[in-house]
Amino acid sequence: MALRGVWQLKKLVVSFSDWGGSSRGIRAFMESHLPAFKEANPQLEVDTEMIRGQHPHLKAFYKNHNDRVVCVKNMDPEEILLHATRLRNALGRKVIKLRTRHVTKHPSVQGTWTTALKY
Amino acid sequence: MFGLFTMHTPIRRCLQALTRQSQPTLSLFKDPLSLRLLSSAALLNHNISSPLLPIFTNSKPTSAFGQWHHGRYFSSSKQDDHIKEGGTHEIEDEDDDSDGDDDDDDDDYDEEEGDYEDEDDDTVAVSSRKKVYTEEEKEAEAEAIGYKVVGPLQKNDNVFKPYEPAFAVVQIGSHQFKVSNGDSIFTERLKFCEVNDKLILNKVLLLGSPSQTIVGRPIVPDGAVHAVVEEHALDAKVIIFKKKRRKNYRRTKGHRQELTKLRITNIEGVEKPLNELVEKPSKSAKKEREKVAVSA
Repeated sequence: MALRGVWQLKKLVVSFSDWGGSSRGIRAFMESHLPAFKEANPQLEVDTEMIRGQHPHLKAFYKNHNDRVVCVKNMDPEEILLHATRLRNALGRKVIKLRTRHVTKHPSVQGTWTTALKY
Repeated sequence: MFGLFTMHTPIRRCLQALTRQSQPTLSLFKDPLSLRLLSSAALLNHNISSPLLPIFTNSKPTSAFGQWHHGRYFSSSKQDDHIKEGGTHEIEDEDDDSDGDDDDDDDDYDEEEGDYEDEDDDTVAVSSRKKVYTEEEKEAEAEAIGYKVVGPLQKNDNVFKPYEPAFAVVQIGSHQFKVSNGDSIFTERLKFCEVNDKLILNKVLLLGSPSQTIVGRPIVPDGAVHAVVEEHALDAKVIIFKKKRRKNYRRTKGHRQELTKLRITNIEGVEKPLNELVEKPSKSAKKEREKVAVSA
């Protein structure tokens, strides 16, 4: 996730509960994979938040002021790492169906063809 | 215990129980003679203290290994129907690795052996069942199929130039795009590149500019298109709904395609006209004159 070389994910908030069983995976993730993830992405602000009475989730804040929330309840640490990596790899685009696979500002180089064109 | 050497499962399991520490692979059991030799060899080699030592005489372990070295073994997956390669040490490694899966069926055994063989001599955690591309050559081959070469990561290069009037028709995988400087392209997920990686797309079918057009047959050999990986993301969810009416059949499946967004930075191999520099000052001068006239 880098628009013209600029990383788009500003902040990642890792919310967990220290009591609940659904947070077991994310607690293991915070011990095992999170330090490596932080080192691999020095441009990223990673925060940990304890929220009791709720399921754990990952909140991602992007530079275009979009947020994405991924609930990671009852997930393994490897799956949580996969989701965190996906959030880091993505732009903050709204998740809608693509209109075209090719986005361009200059569709024609040699001139747009018209019926009046003669070579 | 070793009365009948047949292909039946119970005897295999008995033998497996005996030779727990180092498992001979199942292909042994095809050949009763080799079975005897190998079991004796294995037991003797690995010093298993079992109450029922084999009755057979000492046979050369090399011959035993050699005998089933060239054996074929059959499994449901097509990968495994090929002749084994590699030396004895590999086979022993496989044996050790397959210890943990005794409870699986025989087919699972064979499939895992096939997975072992498909990889190189480097040790691989087979339990994950993912292909680990340990060698860089493999990555290069896979990239060649998708017609891309990964360059180094971004540093302080000024790769994002202003628009140049030149285009190229580039093929990635099975899709072709007409591409110019500064465009973005969504392709299927490219495996061996991370975000902010530079790519060089090899398969260029056509190059064009206002002054020149180069048609490849089918590829232009000197043409190169530079791109930067912008993101790896999932597409929106598509719900696949199947129904057969009046037959009580209804299925719903969700699918999100993995995409990679590339930004094209440079097109090489065509003459690019240098008219822009000449035109721009004149245009800006005209605008300034207009502004002055309006204000006055």
